[in-house]
Amino acid sequence: MSVQTPDSVLDRLWSPFETQSGSRRSLFLMSPLILFELLIFVVPFAMLVRISLSEQSQSLPYAEGTFTIASYIEVLQSGFLQGIIVYSFRLGIIATVLAVVLATFYAYATWRADGLLKSALLFSVVLPLLTTLVIKTYAWVPLLAPNGTANNLLLAVGLLSAPVQVVPNTLGVVIGQVYIVFPYAMLAIYSVLSTVEWELVEAARDLGAGRARSFVEVVLPEIIPGITVATIISFAWSVGAYSAPALLGAGSDRPFALEIQEQMLLNFNWPIATALSTIMLVLMFVSIVLIYVVLGRFGGDVSNAA
Amino acid sequence: MRLESDRLGIAAFRLGYVAIFVAMLLPLFIVIATSFSASGNLQFPPEGFSLRWYRAFFADIQWLRAFDNSFIVGIGTTVVATFMGITAAFGLEARNSRLGDLLTPVVILPLLIPPVILGVTLLVYFSALGLQSSYLGIVLAHSLWATPLVFFVMQSVFQRFDWELRDAGMDLGANPISVFVYVILPNVKNGIVVSALLAFIISLQEFVMALFLSNFQTQTIPVLAWNSLRQSLTPTVSVVSTFLVLISVAGLAAAALAVNLDFVAKRLS
Amino acid sequence: MSDIELQNISKSYGDLQAVDDVTLSVRDGELLCLLGPSGCGKSTTMRMISGLETPTSGEVYLGGENVTDQAAYDRDTSMVFQNWALFPYKTVLENVAFGLKMRGDGADERSRRARDMLERVHMDGYEEHSTTDLSGGQKQRVALARSLAVDPDVLLLDEPLSNLDKRLREEMEIELKDIHQEFDKTFVYVTHNQDEAFTLADRIGIMNDGRLVQVGEPTEVYRNPTNRFVEEFLGDTNFVAGEVADVDDRYASLSTDFSETIRIPAFEPVEPGASFTISLRPEFMSIQRATGADSPAETTARADGTGGDTIGGTVENTIYRGSRIRYVVDVGGEDLFVEQSVADQVGIQEGEAVELGWNTDDLLMFHPDGSRVGAE
Repeated sequence: MSVQTPDSVLDRLWSPFETQSGSRRSLFLMSPLILFELLIFVVPFAMLVRISLSEQSQSLPYAEGTFTIASYIEVLQSGFLQGIIVYSFRLGIIATVLAVVLATFYAYATWRADGLLKSALLFSVVLPLLTTLVIKTYAWVPLLAPNGTANNLLLAVGLLSAPVQVVPNTLGVVIGQVYIVFPYAMLAIYSVLSTVEWELVEAARDLGAGRARSFVEVVLPEIIPGITVATIISFAWSVGAYSAPALLGAGSDRPFALEIQEQMLLNFNWPIATALSTIMLVLMFVSIVLIYVVLGRFGGDVSNAA
Repeated sequence: MRLESDRLGIAAFRLGYVAIFVAMLLPLFIVIATSFSASGNLQFPPEGFSLRWYRAFFADIQWLRAFDNSFIVGIGTTVVATFMGITAAFGLEARNSRLGDLLTPVVILPLLIPPVILGVTLLVYFSALGLQSSYLGIVLAHSLWATPLVFFVMQSVFQRFDWELRDAGMDLGANPISVFVYVILPNVKNGIVVSALLAFIISLQEFVMALFLSNFQTQTIPVLAWNSLRQSLTPTVSVVSTFLVLISVAGLAAAALAVNLDFVAKRLS
Repeated sequence: MSDIELQNISKSYGDLQAVDDVTLSVRDGELLCLLGPSGCGKSTTMRMISGLETPTSGEVYLGGENVTDQAAYDRDTSMVFQNWALFPYKTVLENVAFGLKMRGDGADERSRRARDMLERVHMDGYEEHSTTDLSGGQKQRVALARSLAVDPDVLLLDEPLSNLDKRLREEMEIELKDIHQEFDKTFVYVTHNQDEAFTLADRIGIMNDGRLVQVGEPTEVYRNPTNRFVEEFLGDTNFVAGEVADVDDRYASLSTDFSETIRIPAFEPVEPGASFTISLRPEFMSIQRATGADSPAETTARADGTGGDTIGGTVENTIYRGSRIRYVVDVGGEDLFVEQSVADQVGIQEGEAVELGWNTDDLLMFHPDGSRVGAE
């Protein structure tokens, strides 16, 4: 049906597709994204793996065209690099546990809140979310440095006799990292929590479950999908942490992100850097699958959270 | 009568979330406060009150250029991510295909990969293509993160959309493109606005990938902030931070006016 | 003893007064229905009995004990929720056993009691099912079993049948009544459905706008409403407003828009010029074809010599409702309706002239402010 109005422009746009089937058109619509992911994600990573399988070279970042697994062996055998891997995972686990536990609590408080309080709590989470990593990390320096606010306050009040070095130190890194992932974790949990019917908790209380118990028995199983997403995100980002260790950590705080940067851009030893990356990715992938499986046994369907 | 332990429990609960509330906002507040410091030290409470660092900032061409860069990249990312996110989400919703189920994990994957790895990988890749340190490179990298967000926001928007409206449109003689432009777009524009805003802000504040993919000319605000920090801790960074926080707050306010905060919070997760 | 005393309880949320100074006694073992339109405060009142809400003022007593500040998990009441609130990640058996688990019963004991309860609600065999697979009626039974398993003094039911279709609802009404008799507990039942209340209740408490308007046995409340709200809420009726023209010793005549001489009983407040609203219940009215002697234009009520009035009108609509017919009759510009059982009907058609009749002593009268005149 042709229309003699300005719509005819769109009609002409449409006519080449008129004969295509619905799913063909659907494919066409999704093709920009698919193409994008292929070109900007899949291909670069193929390159990454390829480089990791090349020989190291003195004068070049890597020896093109060669093939060896020497870099992988080197990474796996190096005590130094093992230490780095361990540090990364330890930071990941600690930050994740802290973040998810606190996030669950805060999400619950937000769920139960109304009106202004609810908006305030959400604001307190959404604003840091939209703030750049640099600021979020750097903000802890004036607070936690030896000559910073916290120390000065505690010294003045008399609770401390000498300044405590939280920054630069591993404790500072953990605090900073938790601060960074907390908003994401909280929102992941909250988005599921907000769909839970409060009536269920009332029913549990009516049947004799106290406050804590009614949460554990009724709410927890339902928010497992949100907790799973929160855990996975927190874990992935904490293992791959860069800014917190760099800015808030001491020399001994060396996660693999910093190591990769050094190997890549300072030492120009690309095979090692990429091999380390690939190993970390594999380990992380395995961990994430583990998290997904373990948590999934406690409750509902994760696809509800996405 | 209400048990004491009950009251204690409630008090502890309140104390808990207030403490977290303070912990979330205090660092930002401190940073903003230090930007007004009269001295060059990064102390809180700041020693004296002065706008000198603000003046220094506006005089510093590096920062001004960084702002330009950030906005250029931000707009670019918004355009790219919004276009891809909307078309893909729409294509998915028009028909529930298996391709869609396959697409979701692929789209999410970049978000889970440590940004350092992404940054370094793309650096190598773009160098091979001659795109290193270019605006395009940074835009594409940021889109890796922004597009999933737009995609999911629009996906849930399209899910809530009353598809009967489309049927009505077609029944009245509009071809599918017209239907999209005249029937669907007006009804989902809230979702589009929100996801575009979010894409912009994500790009604005993305730091790690930009660190690797920009150079002296093209560095964005977070990158310049980071580099300045590495050299010396001065309140200039606080000034920049204040502006960034204000921009985020403004963006939030704009989104909150379009929809309420609860909605935005849920979309972000 | 599982009686309930509510003394002057009120509940307000900011500016909103949900429950306003309600005083009510529920006798041990009775089934009391709280009946009223949406938003009247009946659910809130019941939640205050359960402990899920705390009164803003006033006191709640269960079995003589002041439980006003007691939390829901400490009270010996059990609630069946409107949407049943079955726990989604637990099996039917785990749901029913939940309360027992909370009070510390051992696993075997819990299982035994839960199975026993499921059998009594005819849901045996469903123990391992997920609650999401069940139909509305089945969920209803599981919810009941769950609440009864903890052997509460008082069972509270919050519009439990409102999500079921008509036939299922009627079946469940009877089942609930049986369960009430079998378990011999105090039941408080909230509903907006008048038929439900009349079927189930030993006594009905009618609420409107946060206040308790009238409490009594169903027949009593129906025959003798305290005010116009109750009369209007329970069943359909014709309301006719008018002014008193002149007064006799037994009767007075009311002047309305369509007739000068409707007779009303001459209670005390009846004097010339006073305004009243009368309720003409369709079940007290008779309908027959107009006899030839009357002209259809005559719409003044006439005494028919037997203590009643007759008035003429034209049938505007006949509405079949299964076993009954409703006639909407135009009487001097006003619409009055009368009902007849299909078995009794004589085939009166739309457009026909008819006569409506009623007995003056069957009229209910109300002041303009809604209060009842001359309640027995």
